[in-house]
Amino acid sequence: MASSHPPRDSNSNIPDFEYLDVNTKPFHVGSFRHEWLNRLKPSDYSYRREDDDTFDANFMKEMGVGAETMAELKSICSPDSLRCHPEGQQPDTELVPPEPMLQTLIQRKKRQDHRANQKISKNRHDLYADELERLIVGRKPESTADIIPEGEIVLTINVYYPITSERISTSRPHMSLLMTGSHSLAELRDAICCVSDLQVCGEFSNTPDLAPDFISKDLFKSSFFFFEGVFYNDMRFPECQDISKTTIEWAKARNYPPYTQAKMEDTRFVDLTIKVGFPYLYCHQGDCEHLVIITDIRLTHKSDCLDKKLYPLLIRKDRLLTQKCTVCHLFIGRWFTTNDQYAPSDPCLFCDKCFRALHYDAAGNKLGEFLAYPYVDQGAFN
Amino acid sequence: MDFCRKEVKSDCEQLLSRFQRTGSVRFEIFSRLWREMKFSHIFYGTAGHQKRAFSHLILDTARSFFLPPFSFQIRVGGLYLLYSLYQCQTAEPKEQIRLALKDWEDVKKFEKNAVDAQHHDTVYILQQLMLLKAFYFTAMPSQLVFKKKKKMEKSVLCEEFIERASRPQELITIDLLEELSNINELYEKLKTSVASSEQAVSSINLVRTDMVPQLRSTVVDFYKWQQKKEVTVEDEDSGEGTSSQQECSERAERLADIKSRAYGQAAEASKSRRHRQVEVDFTSNEAGPSHSSSYTRIYKRSLKARTMENVHISGDKWKDVTSSSYIPRLTTLDFIPEEKPKKCKKFKW
Repeated sequence: MASSHPPRDSNSNIPDFEYLDVNTKPFHVGSFRHEWLNRLKPSDYSYRREDDDTFDANFMKEMGVGAETMAELKSICSPDSLRCHPEGQQPDTELVPPEPMLQTLIQRKKRQDHRANQKISKNRHDLYADELERLIVGRKPESTADIIPEGEIVLTINVYYPITSERISTSRPHMSLLMTGSHSLAELRDAICCVSDLQVCGEFSNTPDLAPDFISKDLFKSSFFFFEGVFYNDMRFPECQDISKTTIEWAKARNYPPYTQAKMEDTRFVDLTIKVGFPYLYCHQGDCEHLVIITDIRLTHKSDCLDKKLYPLLIRKDRLLTQKCTVCHLFIGRWFTTNDQYAPSDPCLFCDKCFRALHYDAAGNKLGEFLAYPYVDQGAFN
Repeated sequence: MDFCRKEVKSDCEQLLSRFQRTGSVRFEIFSRLWREMKFSHIFYGTAGHQKRAFSHLILDTARSFFLPPFSFQIRVGGLYLLYSLYQCQTAEPKEQIRLALKDWEDVKKFEKNAVDAQHHDTVYILQQLMLLKAFYFTAMPSQLVFKKKKKMEKSVLCEEFIERASRPQELITIDLLEELSNINELYEKLKTSVASSEQAVSSINLVRTDMVPQLRSTVVDFYKWQQKKEVTVEDEDSGEGTSSQQECSERAERLADIKSRAYGQAAEASKSRRHRQVEVDFTSNEAGPSHSSSYTRIYKRSLKARTMENVHISGDKWKDVTSSSYIPRLTTLDFIPEEKPKKCKKFKW
C-alpha cells in the first residue's frame, strides 16, 4: 500500500486563521495553554536560564561530538562572529552608518534627512509611548509571592473608543492592556477607564457646589462583556442589573441563535472560548459601547513584567487633546453652559474659576439666566 | 514601521540568495556573508521605542523564511538569520521571536532532519535560541487587530527559495509500482480462471494492461524534465545528503497543503485557476456577486461622496458658512487674513 500520511489532526485547540491575517477561529484559552505545555519542556518556558556547561554536556551526548568539536562549534557560532565593525571601535548605533549598502538603511537615511529639513517636532504620542515603555519592561516584584507563575497565559487586549463623535478614530485603540489568564473579567472591567463613567447627569446652575456627588460610575454600575454569544454581566454590587436581558429576549423573539449569560466576576480568561483578533463588546452606562479586541495570547516570558500586583498592565494609552476654557485658555473646561446670556457662544465651556466669576456674585447668588452642566473632558485620563 | 517592510524583506532575500548560491548549510559561511554585507548595521539609526518596533518587524520577516514552504537550505539560512538578528538587535531588553502553536510541528521536524543529517551547527544554533529564551510561545504568528484590507496583498514568496515539488515521484514509488503490477497479475489470473471462454475475458477489460509501465515512464519523464529545469540551482538534497526522495514527501505534502490554502485566499488566482471565481471575498464592497471570469472590481464610491452628490444643501445656507467655528477660538479679530493652508511636504517613499 502507498505510505499515505494520515491527515493532520484538526485539533480545535490549536489556533488557526478563520480569515487570513484578520482573525482566528474560536478556541478555548485554557486548552490552548495545555497544548503548549504538553509540547515544551519546563526548562523551555522557565524564567531561569540553563547553565552553559549543562547545555554543552547535553549537546555533546545527544549529537555524539567530542569536546574539541564542541569548542570549535562554540567559537564559530558565537555572537562575535557576527561583529561587523573592527574590534575596539564601538560604532554609534544612533546614527545611520555612512555609505549604506542595505536598502533599509538607504531609505532610513533619506527619511532622517527629510525630517531634519522639515523641523518636525516630536510626536507627543511617541513621547508618551517611550515613557510608558520605560516604566513597564522587565519589572520584577519585590516579594516572590507576587510573581506570575511560569507557564501562565498573557493576553493583550485592545479597548477602543465609543463612537460618540466623528473626530474619534475607530482604528486607533484607546488603550492596550495586558492581563493574565487567571484574572477575571471583572478585573478587566475595572481597568477600563472611560470618561462617560465620570459624567454627572443633571443641571446644576442653581446648585453648583453639589455637582460632584452624582458621578455616573457610582450610580450606574451595570455592565457586560459579550464574547462568542455569551453575555458576561457584572453582578458584584446590589445596584447592578442584568442589562443584557433585553437583548437576549429580543433575539429570542426574532429567531437569532440563542445567547447565554454568565457572571463577569466568576469567569477567568482561561475559561473563555474566544477568537483572537475578532471584535467583541463591552457595554456600560447602558449605552456606552466599546469594542474590545484580544490581539494576542501567549505564554509568559522572563522579560515580561512579572509583578502580579501591576496587572492589568497598561502598555499603551492614547492621549487626547484637552479642551480649554473659553475665557482663560489655561485650565481645562469643567462647566458647560447653554442658553447663557453672558457666554459668547452656545454652548460654551468654562473652567471652574471663570464660571463662578462670570455667573455668580460674591455671595454665591446666580446672576442671569443660564443652564449649566458639569463637563468631563475627553482627555481626563491623560 | 510598515513603510520599510518591503526593503527589509528584499535585504533578507538578498542575504539568503547569496547563501543559497554557496550551496552550503554551514554557519561559518553564513556569518562570512553577514559580515560582508555588514548586516548588523540594519539596526543602526532607530531611536527610542522604534528600536523595538523595528526588531519586531525584521524578526517577523526572518521567521517566515524559517518555516515551510521553503527548501531546507533556505530554512537553515532563515534560522541563522533569526539567530544573528536576535543577537545583534539594539532594543534593550531584547525583542523575542514569535512562534505560533501551529508552527511547532514544522520546527520539530526541521530539527529532526538536521539531527539525522548531523548538521551540528544547525542543531546547536536552534538549541541556543531555546536556551537564550528567544521565543515567545504564542497563539498566532503576529498580533491581529481585525484589519480588513481593501486590496488583498498577495504575499510574494521568492520563487527560487521554494522547495521543488516532488509529489509525483513520492506517490509513485518503486514499491508502489511493484505492488500495482502484482495486483494486476493476480487480477488477470483471477479473470482467466473465472471466465469460461476467451470471449468473456476480453469483454470485461476494465483495466489497462500496460498501466503500470506507462505510469512509471510518465513519472520518470516528469522527473527528468524537472532536473533539466534546475540545472542552475544546485540540488541541495544530493549535495548535503540531508534528505532522500522518500523524506521530502512530508515537505511536499506541506507545500501542497499551504499552496491550496493560499490559492483559496488570494484575490488574484494563478494561471491554473483563472476560470474559477474568487472564493474568499469578505472585503468586497461590491454591489453584487462577482460571477464574471474577469477580475474587474467594481469600486463603489465612498458614502461621503455619494451623499454630497445626492443630498443638495440649499444655496443660501451653504454660502453663509465659511468655516466651522471652534469653541476655544472665540476671541479673535474680526478680520482674519486669508490663511494659506500649510502644505506639509509629504515624504515620497
